[in-house]
Amino acid sequence: MITGPSDSERRARIVQAIVDETGVTEQIIEKLVHAFYAKVRVDPELGPIFARVIGGDWGPHLAKMCDFWSSVMLMSGRYKGNPMVAHMRLKTIRPEHFGRWLDLFTRTARELCAPEMAEAFVARAENIARSLQMGIFYRAEKYPSAKRPQVS
Amino acid sequence: MTFVVTEACIKCKYMDCVEVCPVDCFYEGENMLVIHPDECIDCGVCEPECPAEAIKSDTESGLEKWLALNAEYARKWPNITSKGVPPPDADAWKDVPDKYANHFSENPGGEEDADRARAA
Repeated sequence: MITGPSDSERRARIVQAIVDETGVTEQIIEKLVHAFYAKVRVDPELGPIFARVIGGDWGPHLAKMCDFWSSVMLMSGRYKGNPMVAHMRLKTIRPEHFGRWLDLFTRTARELCAPEMAEAFVARAENIARSLQMGIFYRAEKYPSAKRPQVS
Repeated sequence: MTFVVTEACIKCKYMDCVEVCPVDCFYEGENMLVIHPDECIDCGVCEPECPAEAIKSDTESGLEKWLALNAEYARKWPNITSKGVPPPDADAWKDVPDKYANHFSENPGGEEDADRARAA
């Protein structure tokens, strides 16, 4: 068997490349997450939706979102969850809320981060927002049949 | 949008992707993994992790068949949430062509599979 670099070496190299390119750190992630949700809480569209689910104690949700962004940006594996299902449970959510969420996130990232880093966050956020929005509202159109695939 | 696992995974099944996926959207067959397209949030973390470069964004052209295969088998195979033992000959299968035609297995993966790999 040919042995390549171990998984942890490989991952360390990938993460280092991300850090070198974007400058993302755990501290920045925490700062961004807290600043972003401070905007969300007072937003007339998104605030009430989050308030209904989170109630008065934002601590656990903020910690969870720091874990989420750490997993997404720095591959830390700290977050494990099913955001698709969590969002599908929200009865008051509408497709346009994802656009609003992305606007606030983008604005916060650009306020707090250098341009390369802000764009790295925004690129991930765009994909995630689009994927949740499509998954929740357009699933039936996306995968109309469960026919057996023919792969050649 | 989603990421999909393609032919290069077959008989390699390194499973590094499983460790970094924040949403546990990988499903395990006997000799490859697939991504559940309804659960993937398109974060892209798994893509550079794959030593076989088997994971692609469905925005790339020509992946429709693989998207359908991922969707089908994600419903049939068990969810995998932690990395198991890759096949001992994984590296030797990395660049072998036509793995789907010759080696794809519809069988689900799981514990027995991991036990076999450990025993080998």
